[in-house]
Amino acid sequence: MASVTYDSIWKKFGDVVALQDFNIKVEDKEFLVLVGPSGCGKTTALRCLAGLEEPTSGSIMIEDKVVNDIAPKDRDIAMVFQSYALYPHMTVFDNMAFGLKLRHFPKDKIKTRVNEAARIMGIEELLKRKPRELSGGQRQRVAVGRAIVREPKVFLFDEPLSNLDAKLRVQMRTEISKIHNRLATTFIYVTHDQTEAMTMATRIAVMNKGVLLQLDTPQELYDNPKNQFVAGFIGSPAMNFFNGHIRMHENTMFFNSGKFWLKIPPKRREALANLMNKEAVFGIRPENIYNPQFAPQNVLTETVEAKVEVTELMGNEIFLYMKTDGTNFVARVDPRTHFEIGDTAKVAFNMDLFHIFAPSLDPDNPVAIF
Amino acid sequence: MMTPNDYPAAFTTSRRIYRNKRVLRETLVGWLFVLPALLMYATFVLVPILLTIHYSLYRWNGVGPMTWVGMQNYVSVFQIPNLIGTISNAFWLVVWFSFIPVSLGLIVASVMHRVGTGRFGAIAQTVVFLPQVIALVAAGIIWGWLLALPGLVNQILRLVGLGAISRAWLGDFNWALPSVGVIGIWVLLGFCTVLLSTAMTKIDPAFYESARLDGANWLQEFIAITLPLLRYEIGVCLTVTVVNALAAFDIVYVATAGGPGNATAVPGLQIYILAFTQRSVGLASALAVILMVLVILVILPIQRLNREAAL
Repeated sequence: MASVTYDSIWKKFGDVVALQDFNIKVEDKEFLVLVGPSGCGKTTALRCLAGLEEPTSGSIMIEDKVVNDIAPKDRDIAMVFQSYALYPHMTVFDNMAFGLKLRHFPKDKIKTRVNEAARIMGIEELLKRKPRELSGGQRQRVAVGRAIVREPKVFLFDEPLSNLDAKLRVQMRTEISKIHNRLATTFIYVTHDQTEAMTMATRIAVMNKGVLLQLDTPQELYDNPKNQFVAGFIGSPAMNFFNGHIRMHENTMFFNSGKFWLKIPPKRREALANLMNKEAVFGIRPENIYNPQFAPQNVLTETVEAKVEVTELMGNEIFLYMKTDGTNFVARVDPRTHFEIGDTAKVAFNMDLFHIFAPSLDPDNPVAIF
Repeated sequence: MMTPNDYPAAFTTSRRIYRNKRVLRETLVGWLFVLPALLMYATFVLVPILLTIHYSLYRWNGVGPMTWVGMQNYVSVFQIPNLIGTISNAFWLVVWFSFIPVSLGLIVASVMHRVGTGRFGAIAQTVVFLPQVIALVAAGIIWGWLLALPGLVNQILRLVGLGAISRAWLGDFNWALPSVGVIGIWVLLGFCTVLLSTAMTKIDPAFYESARLDGANWLQEFIAITLPLLRYEIGVCLTVTVVNALAAFDIVYVATAGGPGNATAVPGLQIYILAFTQRSVGLASALAVILMVLVILVILPIQRLNREAAL
């Protein structure tokens, strides 16, 4: 059990900057998920902690000890690899026992530990098999089991579920969460799948291009993304964005996309004052767009006209893929909605739950005004 | 419900005939496809083998009449010290041509895999592989010069103060065979290194990373991961180099021609001398058959291990 601290970590591969001034403090027993698109530096961050990469500058601490110059084996960590890295010529038992054998554990202790880990992972009957005789899900369990055996202070997971099919992935997700609760150890988990991040993490670190964009609880990330990248990355279907300007007209503030005008509620005017007549991005999540017929009561809405391009019936809801003024967006509406493809339909935007991002303040990374 | 067993007798019979016909046709077509390759193989491999076995049962000078001698030629091979000596020489060469290049190749390959990526690795690989590209005859001549009394090897020895051990390496009764062996190492090391280092690049780096996190050192990684995962390629290297050793001819012929005395005579060379200079085709054939059996006996277990590794 231990906390992990990244203190101003930079990692460069030649001219490529993989990590830029990366700072995180992972609390003891926390389940931290590093999430971001491929090449965002999340795996590099993990590998630096494991000791498989050396940071260019900055220090990494486990508990209060700087581990930069400590060999990987002495950092008391265990890692589950994306490819599982199960030795094909060894049985499951030998795979799980390998690390303990290298540490000269007595035989009976190895046996007890492996059996205990196998019991936790439900793979007791597979111990004599070779990895090639196992299914993907079973291999995954063995890989996690091999990490458990070591009883490390910190568990590292590098996209462990990406080789599994969708159904198994959902199942393993809950299993890994259960193991985290059971072992009560620090978990650091890398994934590019925001659903995995949202469902498992106590806190999520969203990264892009080697920069940590936001570190927060899943709910906080979802409700209050700090910038447009985080807003677009977290949530599925993703948040819709409309480019436009903030305008004032007859003492009322509007977001003007060019085609449509959305009246901004008076209570949010102040925050937007310095964006007046400037470029802005309006963001709204698909579930906050309604079929006006079924819009919730007591919610301030604005109506937008758009063309229905595709409808997807999900059973409990319908995804409407719509287009207005050259911008595509998705609405999650009531399943009783009957819009035909090609129709021009009116949908209601919830004007209490929207976000404004200001590209004019930071063109590379539009920040959220609210 | 009717199961296939309940079909009326006549119907079953007609079905069976139909199926047999189809099977026959498929077999025939299959053989037709194989035939061209089979013809080549028969002409250049099977027929010569059978002819060699046939000749080995006769006394024959290659042109005149053949005299039936039964197993006498085989008995002679085991009775004439010079001939049995070539077989023991061949097995000595296995050490030099096979075990050393494969072991050394493993070490060189894993060092290159660890250290030399990029341009250095490519240059090192080319240099190590170069002997494979040079014609063996040329290599034999070059090494003949290097190892001669005034050659470079002795010059270097004298330069570093080891002049006392300098000698005509290929002309020394005790040192000729090891010297030929060194030439073999030089030639075959490149082959083994390139094959093994290519195989090493296919090993998932996560295996090594995982082992490092588990606390494995270089040697433990080598024994627990590299060796078992290269079993198949090591088998291929062993097969090729063992065959090279047992059937060695060109290097030996050019470097020493079997001398001094019979110190470096190997079966391949002896077969050539017997058949073409001494005109004992029968005896040469018997030695060839024995060599073939030996090669098969040595290679089969390696191949079997290989097949298990490939599973």
